[in-house]
Amino acid sequence: MVDTPGVLHSQWFDGRSPRARAIELRIDAGELWLRTVDGEAAERRYPLKAVRWPERRSHGQRQTELPDGSLIQHSDAGEWDAWWRDQGLGEGLVVGWMQSWRATLVAMAGTVAFLAAAWVWGVPWLSTTLAHLVPQALEERIGRTSLEQLDALFLKPSELPQAQQDELRRRFETVVKASHPAGDAPAWSLYFHKSDILGANAFALPGGAIVMTDELVEMLEDEPDAIVGVLAHELGHVLHRDGVDMLVRSSLVGALIGVVLGDASTLMATLPATLATQSYSRDAERRADAYAAQVLHRAGLSPSVMALFFERILEAEGGEAEEGEADSLPISIASHPGHAERIRYFREWAPGS
Amino acid sequence: MSAQDDQTVVTWNGSDPGGSGSGEPGITPVPQALDIRFTGSGSEYFRIWIVNLLLILVTLTLYLPFARARRMAYFQNNTLVGGDPLGFHADPWKMFRGYLLVLALGLGYWGVSNFLPHLTWIALLVLAVLWPALWRASLQFRLRNTSWRGVRLAFVGDMKAAYLAMLPFFVPALAFALLLPDLGEGDEVSEEMAQQAAILGGVVTLGFLAFMPWLWARIKRYQHGGYAFAQERTRFGAGTRRFYGLSAKIAGVSLLVMLALGALVGVLFGVMAAAGTMSLSDLGRGGGGGAGWVFMVGFGALLAMVYVLWPLIVGSYVTSRFQNLLWSHTESDHIRFFSALRLAPLVRVNAVNWVLIALTLGLYWPFAAVRSARIRLEAMRLEIDGDVNAWVGAHQRPAGVIGDAAGDFLGIDMGL
Repeated sequence: MVDTPGVLHSQWFDGRSPRARAIELRIDAGELWLRTVDGEAAERRYPLKAVRWPERRSHGQRQTELPDGSLIQHSDAGEWDAWWRDQGLGEGLVVGWMQSWRATLVAMAGTVAFLAAAWVWGVPWLSTTLAHLVPQALEERIGRTSLEQLDALFLKPSELPQAQQDELRRRFETVVKASHPAGDAPAWSLYFHKSDILGANAFALPGGAIVMTDELVEMLEDEPDAIVGVLAHELGHVLHRDGVDMLVRSSLVGALIGVVLGDASTLMATLPATLATQSYSRDAERRADAYAAQVLHRAGLSPSVMALFFERILEAEGGEAEEGEADSLPISIASHPGHAERIRYFREWAPGS
Repeated sequence: MSAQDDQTVVTWNGSDPGGSGSGEPGITPVPQALDIRFTGSGSEYFRIWIVNLLLILVTLTLYLPFARARRMAYFQNNTLVGGDPLGFHADPWKMFRGYLLVLALGLGYWGVSNFLPHLTWIALLVLAVLWPALWRASLQFRLRNTSWRGVRLAFVGDMKAAYLAMLPFFVPALAFALLLPDLGEGDEVSEEMAQQAAILGGVVTLGFLAFMPWLWARIKRYQHGGYAFAQERTRFGAGTRRFYGLSAKIAGVSLLVMLALGALVGVLFGVMAAAGTMSLSDLGRGGGGGAGWVFMVGFGALLAMVYVLWPLIVGSYVTSRFQNLLWSHTESDHIRFFSALRLAPLVRVNAVNWVLIALTLGLYWPFAAVRSARIRLEAMRLEIDGDVNAWVGAHQRPAGVIGDAAGDFLGIDMGL
């Protein structure tokens, strides 16, 4: 349809009426000239910069927006692109990128590399940094609120004699002091509670509160050093600020997966998010284990007392699952490393490892 | 595929959907049928998607609105109504401002709900108060930046109606807040209180479910009653009763599918159990574990099949019937919409999409999006009375200087 060189016959809508008008287009001296050729002839000029050109693609028509709200619509994409090329106008970098399969594959590799880097370095770094930026007072408040909720749902007042509680508290304090001669141990407070639902358990809350159940104390009654080991593990979580860290981490992972999967279903998004978060959680447990071993060692106790704790736990669960199965099967979805792995870790722990 | 599409574009463009030949004034106009074609291609959208994704990640999601604008432009430019594509004109920089606002709201909510949980209700309240306005602004923005034959569409529903339409959604939350007994201050929850809360929760949820079709009808009536093109403004003709009818049908279909799948599993389970015991007795001394293992895997596969088949069939049913209900009851003085999205082809497309997405670890996703858009869009058509060429845009203003300042300034687009 191009007869005069540089002139393109096309279709134009004035933006007010849905009626198509036949036009001729040419580019001259930095301006787009548009001449209607049906009905009364009229000529309009637009500075090239003010025109919103279409992106080149292999499908669809070409629509060009003009600054007065009118629209050039060209159905033959190939013809338009050829005319456009002849005018020597450049196109955006991204447009050419999207038309090339090779560049697309490079982008795909880049995406995978970015996600891998975010996974290994980005998310842990960002969440640790953010966790340490949270003011202590705010963290304590979060911890208090969650303790209140837990209190209402799972915990009952402790039935341990006060003397026994004080004795454990004192023992742990001594060990912490001995292992932190410079006095740089994180602030902590220890609470004992009875809980039928949680069973033998201990956990650390943001802000330094450590909760231990009566059931756990009873399970290790004859081995107070193991109790101290468990408390040291929890103190590790406090030191690493794992509570806030995991909160930030799971949100980051959720956001990342939301971006990648976009509008894909939420079910598809939650599964990888859960798996990813659990993997980070296992890392946090390993870090806390390492800290507990350090504390015990520095206080002159053997880290292998912790192995005892896991053996007792295994024993208690023994009725339900055989050792090998329980450990290997759900490892990818469990929030903690397998018991056998942790027993081995504490048995074989050596200073400097 | 591309050659065929391009050809269709050309032939369609040759005819004039305005029908200037038949539009003699004074003569009852013959309705013109405009069909909808979708010419997007999966492989091209794949390239757009990958590059967009990388740019979004590298810019820590700041590129999101630009990627979104490109994606919407691609889908709209490839939607041909009577041979003419829809235009997408949103300025990505305005969408960027809107994105920053939504991001700030989201982060604020995240922070409050995680760090100051006792203040979550304030955040929720703020969100609830803003939501209908945001929703309307988003509809306005989307419609105003969509054109057909050079004329911009518009959304003309007013603010008050938006709030009235959305309001009942907040009733259940309110009921919970007001009626729920104060959860234990320090003390443990007594059994009685827990029971009370559970009953209340059940009642409110059931009540909400019972009113769901009514709520849905209100919202869709507002939305589909506010579209405007030139002098035309749409109405939504489906009454609340139709929404209840559809809900009943959906409940029935999901139950039937569940029963059918349950029966299927039961039969297969029985067959496998028979086979299992047989092989067990055959293998006798040593190999019982092997047969049990086969049995377990088979049973797992069956369960997975049920988990996939049920949403596949019921989800497709809901999609098709809902689209048909919405669009077949949307009309204006001179425009009527029709939608005849059939279940079987949609199930086929969805099934293929799901399988291929799973097999390619998600890389098939853009192809699936295109296929799904094609089947849904091409099930629709329009009928127009009279000569479109004689219509005049009532709301025509140049892009950017128009309309509701906040909505346009912020380019709020929530993808509704």
